[in-house]
Amino acid sequence: MSIEFISIIVLFASFFTLLLLKVPVAYSIGISTTLSLLLNIDNMPGITTIAQRMTTGIDSFALLAIPFFILAGEIMKSGGIANRLINFAKSLVSSLPGGLAYVNVLASMLFGAISGSALAAASAIGSIMTDRMEEEGYPRTLSASVNITASTTGLLIPPSNILIVYALASGGTASVAALFIAGYLPGILLGFAIMGYVAFIAISKGYARGKRATLFEVWTFFRKAFFSLLLLVIVVGGIVAGIFTATEASVIAVLYAAILSLVYGDMKVKDFSGVLLSSAKTTAVVMFLICTSMAMSWLFSFEGIPEMISSFLLEQLNNKFAIFLAINLILLIIGTFMDMTPAVLIFTPIFLPVVTTLGMDPVHFGIVIVLNLCIGICTPPVGTLLFVGSGVAKVSVTQVIRPLLPFLAIMVIVLMLISYIPEISMFLPNLFGLK
Amino acid sequence: MSRSELVFNKVNRLLELFMIIIFALLVLDVLFQVFSRYILGTSFTWTEEFARFSLIWMTILGAAYLNGKREHLSMDFLYQKFSDTNKRKASILIEVLVFLFALIIMVIGGLNLVYTTLHLEQLSGTLRIPLGYVYAIMPFSGFLIMCFSIYHISNIYKNKINN
Amino acid sequence: KKKDGTKVLYLGHTLPQTHPVHKGILEFQKALETKSNGTLKVKIFPDAQLGSEREVLELLQIGSVAATKVSAATLSNFVPEYHILGIPYLFRDKNHQFEVLEGDIGKSILEKGSKFWLRGLCYYDAGSRSFYTSNKAIRTPDDLKGLKIRVMNNQMAINMVNSMGGSATPLAYGELYTAIQQGVVDGAENNPPSFVSSNHYEISKYYTLDQHSSVPDVLLIGTKYWDKLSDEEKIWVQEAADESSQAQKKFWNDSVEESMKIAQEAGVEIIIPEKSLFAEKSKSVVEEFVKEFPEMANIVNQIKK
Ligand code: NA
Ligand code: NA
Repeated sequence: MSIEFISIIVLFASFFTLLLLKVPVAYSIGISTTLSLLLNIDNMPGITTIAQRMTTGIDSFALLAIPFFILAGEIMKSGGIANRLINFAKSLVSSLPGGLAYVNVLASMLFGAISGSALAAASAIGSIMTDRMEEEGYPRTLSASVNITASTTGLLIPPSNILIVYALASGGTASVAALFIAGYLPGILLGFAIMGYVAFIAISKGYARGKRATLFEVWTFFRKAFFSLLLLVIVVGGIVAGIFTATEASVIAVLYAAILSLVYGDMKVKDFSGVLLSSAKTTAVVMFLICTSMAMSWLFSFEGIPEMISSFLLEQLNNKFAIFLAINLILLIIGTFMDMTPAVLIFTPIFLPVVTTLGMDPVHFGIVIVLNLCIGICTPPVGTLLFVGSGVAKVSVTQVIRPLLPFLAIMVIVLMLISYIPEISMFLPNLFGLK
Repeated sequence: MSRSELVFNKVNRLLELFMIIIFALLVLDVLFQVFSRYILGTSFTWTEEFARFSLIWMTILGAAYLNGKREHLSMDFLYQKFSDTNKRKASILIEVLVFLFALIIMVIGGLNLVYTTLHLEQLSGTLRIPLGYVYAIMPFSGFLIMCFSIYHISNIYKNKINN
Repeated sequence: KKKDGTKVLYLGHTLPQTHPVHKGILEFQKALETKSNGTLKVKIFPDAQLGSEREVLELLQIGSVAATKVSAATLSNFVPEYHILGIPYLFRDKNHQFEVLEGDIGKSILEKGSKFWLRGLCYYDAGSRSFYTSNKAIRTPDDLKGLKIRVMNNQMAINMVNSMGGSATPLAYGELYTAIQQGVVDGAENNPPSFVSSNHYEISKYYTLDQHSSVPDVLLIGTKYWDKLSDEEKIWVQEAADESSQAQKKFWNDSVEESMKIAQEAGVEIIIPEKSLFAEKSKSVVEEFVKEFPEMANIVNQIKK
């Protein structure tokens, strides 16, 4: 057996063993990288290289958007934005059959879109909506399923931190601006698909429809939600119109959210240190994962692992559709037990060369991998969004699984559409000439 | 409260303070960069480098803080099924592995990195500060992580942690 | 790095495989393998697979990567003498440039790196850098007024653009395409092959050939790796580098010609300005440099005379 092959076995075997033993993911990545690299390089240069990759791996101005969007989301979470968005969504869609369920979908989408965090959306909207929906006879488990799956759209609709992480993992072949624009249609498509299934349930179960809102009411609630929604326009509009870069947009989002919550009286100045601390903690969780992942992806390059996997896949399945399918299946399996950020960081460098060889655009693949892993965060055994969503709905994870399954099936169908129809993702970036 | 607990809490408070300060500076720095570029029409060359280095410090210091609080992302679906004694054994093993990683990579590897860049006088592009200072956060945080691991192991032995 | 008696030299750089400097490095690989009868192999990692220029230089010092190719501009943060090569309008023309680089001055700069564990092997031609802009044409230095020009994060490059009247904006290279397209910056500066390979020519209307600086690329080997080579192997490595350096000049010229054709066909207006106007404006940069590094004034004067 060649030393390259042994190093790959050592890398993956130790990584998964450590992961199962509940060693923190960042350390599992770091330790397995160390074991594998030391098979190839002398001890001192080896460990120093890993230390260097861990620091230089996050030495990037583009990555600053991550803490800033986290902070902006955190500021908005502590504010009254959730209520304003729910009221606005209600005035738009509650008169449809099963009205409140659409309100839940739309509010989760809007909150996810603005905060850039599916977890924030699930906890902010889910806690309010499950109670309201229960009053109208919806089972809490159904509300939770709707809320959990609809919240994932916020990861596709910009701003989105996971797309920034992907841009980094793609080695700069996909720009943050292009990925942001590309995420719109897939995110909205997913939202509509969920609404479509909700309509099916609502009609077959005869759930109540709400009172139709007058135009004046729509206008009133729109006005109240206006400044929250304006954030989306400022951030994404600013990036597309070329007023600022993604990182600059993220810090503008912080400033805007801070001013908004001060003006609305949702927050006081003294609350900010607490918000800074909790955002710094979230940032450290994500960024330290990036540190060790960057060391691992350096090891990948050094040992030529992406080329090996790439040539294996290309030789074994010399068919574009089969390879896309295989990659999607592998990612779906990985997503069941691995969180999104490490999965994007580890598997992008491995699969991206394969799909680009087959003519797939790196921006398109970014949307596919993120949507794929969105399904993963809704499934057991490791599903952060599933845990948070069922937690705020006060139902157990096992209770949610049955009503959740059809929603997951909808997500898989949308994933297939988005994998095989590149235009859904690439139409807008091509229109704006972004890459 | 035991003395080690007092020290532990004190260190945590200090780390929290540092993280809040670094994050606040980071926000102000990038806001200033945007402000100077769009309102003043000039750009200062140091703002970008300062922001990048602050992010490195906040992340790696934050990693040590998370170790203290045991709040790193981990996957416990198999661990949940362990018996209590096995959970204790696994917890100790985790802390030992984290300790070794911190010692070997962050402290020894990190110190060699700091030594190399300081010895060879490498300066950053615009702030012109020795890069060794930026890298110094690595061995520093590594040392903190080692201390936290020892603290947690001693607590597991004292049965204070039962998860 | 030993397998069955052969040694593998890991070489990482940041250029794409179509780049003329990468082709020069391939010549180095070929020459070294021939000279050593296959006992010294070179494994090349292009496209920044092992990290940015600065990061790979550190890896040479650390000892995990053997060799690299970087711009002399990046190298100046490690070995101050390379700052000299970034001085605007330092050389009269290409002949003058290579006379200096291949002469005693160039060789002594290459050797200065050994003190910093980075031994220079040879220079590669990286042409001259010129301004390109998306909307506003630069015909004289006055046209630079108020224009945001992206530069490398390097003090001399910043001073140079500012001295000419522009507003230097250091920005990561990866963000540059979008930044030009969206008007975050008005333009940037680079040599013709990079102007084309980065696709920036698609979004630039003007290319002003003011040729303000001629910073060469440098092939380097870490002393940690070098010191482990036998005397015979050292000679092979140096000879292979020298041969590749000669071959690379032709690749460069071909690529410049081809790039200019592509840019022109895409509708980029090529402007040939009066270079002396730009040179005059940038004199303050040289003065500032000599003030900061008085010990290097001598070398600058020697080159300029
Ligand atoms: Na979003
Ligand atoms: Na999962």
